Amino acid sequence: MVEIQSSSPSGVSPESAEATVSTSEHQIAADEPVTTVPIKKQRNLPGMPDPDAEVIALSPRTLLATNRFVCEICNKGFQRDQNLQLHRRGHNLPWKLRQRTSKEVRKRVYICPEPTCVHHDHSRALGDLTGIKKHFCRKHGEKNYKCERCTKKYAVQSDWKAHMKTCGTKEYRCDCGTLFSRKDSFITHRAFCDALAQESARSLPTVITISEGDLKVENVPAAAVKLLEPSPPLPPLTPSTGVLSPVLSIQSPAELPENKTMQPGSAALSTLVTNTKTTAATTAAFGSGGSGSLGNAATTNGLFAGILTGSTSSELSQSSIQPTPYSDLLCAMSGSKRTGNPIDPMSLSLSPALYPSNGASALFSSTSQDHQRYYASNSQPALSATALLQKAAQIGATSSKSSLLGLAMSSSYDLLDNASTMASSTTGRPMLWNHQVKLEHNLLASGLGLGLPSSSTPGSNDLMLGQSTLFDNNPTTLDFLGLGMGGSEVVPSGYSAFLTSIGGGLDMSTSSFGGVNTARETWDDSSDGKPSLLR
Amino acid sequence: MDRTNSVSSKEAAFLHVTNPQNNGIHLEMQGTNCRQPQNSNITGLRSPDSGENSDGKWASRLLIECATAMSEKDSTKIHHLLWMLNELASPYGDCDQKLAFYFLQALFCKATDSGQRSYKTLISVAEKSHSFDSVRKLILKFQEVSPWTTFGHVASNGAILEALEGEKKLHIIDISNTLCTQWPTLLEALATRNDETPHLKLTVVVTTSIVESVMKEVTPRMEKFARLMGVPFEFRVMNGLNFLGELTKDSLGVQEDEAIAVNCIGALKRVDVEERRAFIQMIQSLRPKVVTVVEEEADFSSSRNDFVKCFEECLRFYTIYFDMLEESFAPTSNERLMLERECSRSIVSVLACDDEVDCAGDSERRERGSQWSVKLREAFVPVGYSDDVVDDVNALLKRYRTGWSLVLPAGADDVGIYLTWKEEPVVWASVWKP
Repeated sequence: MVEIQSSSPSGVSPESAEATVSTSEHQIAADEPVTTVPIKKQRNLPGMPDPDAEVIALSPRTLLATNRFVCEICNKGFQRDQNLQLHRRGHNLPWKLRQRTSKEVRKRVYICPEPTCVHHDHSRALGDLTGIKKHFCRKHGEKNYKCERCTKKYAVQSDWKAHMKTCGTKEYRCDCGTLFSRKDSFITHRAFCDALAQESARSLPTVITISEGDLKVENVPAAAVKLLEPSPPLPPLTPSTGVLSPVLSIQSPAELPENKTMQPGSAALSTLVTNTKTTAATTAAFGSGGSGSLGNAATTNGLFAGILTGSTSSELSQSSIQPTPYSDLLCAMSGSKRTGNPIDPMSLSLSPALYPSNGASALFSSTSQDHQRYYASNSQPALSATALLQKAAQIGATSSKSSLLGLAMSSSYDLLDNASTMASSTTGRPMLWNHQVKLEHNLLASGLGLGLPSSSTPGSNDLMLGQSTLFDNNPTTLDFLGLGMGGSEVVPSGYSAFLTSIGGGLDMSTSSFGGVNTARETWDDSSDGKPSLLR
Repeated sequence: MDRTNSVSSKEAAFLHVTNPQNNGIHLEMQGTNCRQPQNSNITGLRSPDSGENSDGKWASRLLIECATAMSEKDSTKIHHLLWMLNELASPYGDCDQKLAFYFLQALFCKATDSGQRSYKTLISVAEKSHSFDSVRKLILKFQEVSPWTTFGHVASNGAILEALEGEKKLHIIDISNTLCTQWPTLLEALATRNDETPHLKLTVVVTTSIVESVMKEVTPRMEKFARLMGVPFEFRVMNGLNFLGELTKDSLGVQEDEAIAVNCIGALKRVDVEERRAFIQMIQSLRPKVVTVVEEEADFSSSRNDFVKCFEECLRFYTIYFDMLEESFAPTSNERLMLERECSRSIVSVLACDDEVDCAGDSERRERGSQWSVKLREAFVPVGYSDDVVDDVNALLKRYRTGWSLVLPAGADDVGIYLTWKEEPVVWASVWKP
C-alpha cells in the first residue's frame, strides 16, 4: 500500500490524488519504480501520444477509494473536494473552493500500480483518472457486483449496470429456426441440432478458416459465438414481446403452428392494406398486434415504398409469393427499425396467411433449387408488399423480432459479407453484425421487389420458429432472400443484378434510415448508449 | 398395456383367477363398481367411511399394503390387492394411477418370479422404440423443463473447469448416460473463458446398447461442435463393456501428461453393489485431478434384503419423481410419458430382480449422498464447490419453474450439494480430489 506523499498546503487529506497533483512540483510516490514527476515520457497509449505528459502513479488504495472527502457534520462522503466544499455551504460552514491552477496544466496520465499489468508501464499509461480507476477495479479488483440472472460478476458498478440492462433480453436462434431465451439450452441444442451438420458444409470463412488455421483461438469463440448469437442485445422486452417470448422459448414445434393458423388471410389482408394507424389490437394472441405499428411505419417509410413500387405487383395473395422471404424482409426491417413500438412478432404470421404458398416455407429451404426458383418467378404484389414492408418496419425492438431477424440473418453469412462490402464501413466482426443488420434491411426492402420463391420444400407453412423442422434432417437454412446455403456460390446472375439494382436504393435507404429513426421515437438502446444505427 | 408383454399364459391365468371379492375394501374408485365387503380379511386398509380416499393417495397405501402382503406371503391378500391395483392403475392417468401402474408391474413380477424376464423384455421394447431423434428430443426437452439433470451438469462442469484451470491437455472420462448433453456448455466455456483454449480429449464410457447406438450419432455432432467452438478436440466412445464393473484403467488409455477429470453422473449406482468399492479404487488408479459425482438421492441399497423397506423407499423416490415430471411437463407431453416408461425398468430391476442371480444389466441400486461419501472417502477427499459454481447453479435453478432449490452442505462432515424438489432432496452432486 502506498500513500501518495504530498506537501501540498491544502487542508485536504494526503490521499487526495487530485489535490496533490494539481501542483506539478509535488512528488508522487508509488509502490514501484514509477516515481518521478515530471517525467518526459514517450508515447502513451496509442491514440494519446503525449511525451510531455506527467505520469502519475496512484496507490491502489487511492484508486479504489470513493467518497474520501467527508463532511464533518453529517459524514456524507464526496468524491471531490469541490463537492464537499459546496456541501459545507449548506451547513453554514466556512468553505473554500479551490481555483484551478493558473499555471500551465500538464496533461496527466496514470499508470496502474499492479506491476504485472500492462498499464504499469509508463508508455502504456492511461490518460484519464476515471479510466485508470475503472481499469484497476476491473482487472485487479474484487468483483462485487453480480448479475442475478446469469451470475456474471463485475468489479465496476457502471459495468454491472450496463450489463443488467441487456441481460436476459438476448435471445438465441439456431439455424434450425428454434428460438431460445436461455443460453445454455441454446448451446446444448445447437450441438445436437441437425442444422449443425450443415454448418460445416457451408463456407463460413470467418469461423472455418480460423479454426483450421493457427490464428488466435480467442477469435474463434467470438466468431462462433456470433454464429450462435445472431440477435444483438435488445432493449427490455415490450409487453407484446413478453407474450411472445415464452412461447418462442418453447421449442416444441407443434405449439407454434397452432398460433400461426389463427390469422385468416383475409383479416390479415385487410389490416395490412389499410395503411392507417390502427391501434395494435391483438385479435389473436399473436395476431395483428403488429399491424398497428405497421400502420405507423407506413407513414414514415415512404422511402421503402418508393423502393418497392417499381418492382412489385399488386396482388397480395399471389401464391407465387413465399411467406418466407417476406417474413425475412419483415424481420430485417423490424430488426433495423427498432422503434420500440410494441411489436408483435407473431404478426409476421400474417405472411403465410397472406401468401398462401404451396405450403412450403421457403424460410427453411436450403436448396439452391429453390433459390433458382426464387429468382425465376418475378411476379410481385406491389402495394401489399409495400404496405407489408412498411408495417414490417415497425416491427422491431423486440427480442423476438430480432430473433426473427436473426432467423433471416444468421444462415446467410455470405450474403452478409456481400452486404458488408456494400456498406459504408465495417468495424470488425462484432460491429459487422450490427451493421449487416442495417444493410440487410435495405437489401431486403429492395429484395421484396424480386420474385419470391414459388415453392419450396414441403414443410409447415409457418414463419414461426421452432418448426416441425426442428429436428428434421432437412436443414432449415434461414436465408432471407431464399438463397441456398453458401449463398454466394449459388447466387445466380440474377442476384448480382439484383444487388446492383438496389445499390442506389441502398444508399437512399441508408441515409433515410437515420432520418426514419429520428422521426419516430428512438428505440431504447440506452443499454449501451450507442447510436441506434450502430446497434 | 405394456405390461402384457411380459405376461405369460400362466401369469394371465393368475391375474384372472383373482375374482373381485372385495375383502373389506370399500373404495371410491374412478368409475369402478365396488361390491360390498364380504369378509374382513383385509383390515385396516381403509376406514369404512372411505374418508381417507379424499386425499387421493390411495396408490401408495395400496402398494405398500401389497408389498407387505408379499413379504408376509399372504396370498389371498396379495391377489386381492393386485387385482385392485390392476383395476385402478393406468399409465395415462394421474400420478397415483401411474405409480400404481408401474409398481404393480414390479409387484407382479415379484409375485410371479418373472423379474428377470420382464426386465429383458422391457429393455428390448425400449431398444426398438428409441431412435437418435427420439432420444435426443426426449433428453433436450427434459433438460429444458427440469433441472433434474442439468443441475449435475452445471455443478460438475464448473468444478471441472476450475480444477483443470491452466492445464493444456485435458482428458475427461465421462461415465454417464447423459449422451454428452453435459459437454456443449463446457466446450463453450473452454472456448470463451480461457486465454488459451486447451486440448480436450473426451472418453465416454457406455454400457447399454441404446446408449451405444445413440452415441454413434452423437460422435460426429460433438466433433463438429467442438470445431465450431474452436476447441481442439478428440472424442472416443468406449462401448465394449457389459457392466461398468468391467472398466479398467488400461482400457481407458490415459496418458501421463493429461490432466484427468472423471465425471460420474449416475454411474456409481450402475455398478453392482459388491463391486462399488473396487470401482472407486479403479477411478483412483487413474490419478484424476478431479472426480465429479452426481447421483440421485435415494437408498435402494441398504435395504435390498428387506423387501418392504426397499419398496417403501422406491415408492417414495418415484413418487417425487413422477410428481416432478407432472409439474414440469405439459399435460399431454409425450416426453413425460416416455420418461415415466423409462422408470419401469429400474423399478422392476430394484424390486423384482435378484441381484445375485439375475444379470440384467446395470444395477439400479441407488445410494444416498452420505452413503456414497463413505465409500468415496476411502479413495478421495471431498472438495466444496466454489462460490462461482454455486452462483451458477442458483442462476440455473432460476431459469426453471418454482419448486426447485439448492441446499448446501449443512454440517462440516456433509459433502456435496443437493437439488431439492419441494423441499425433498432428489439429486446429490459432489466433487472429489485425490
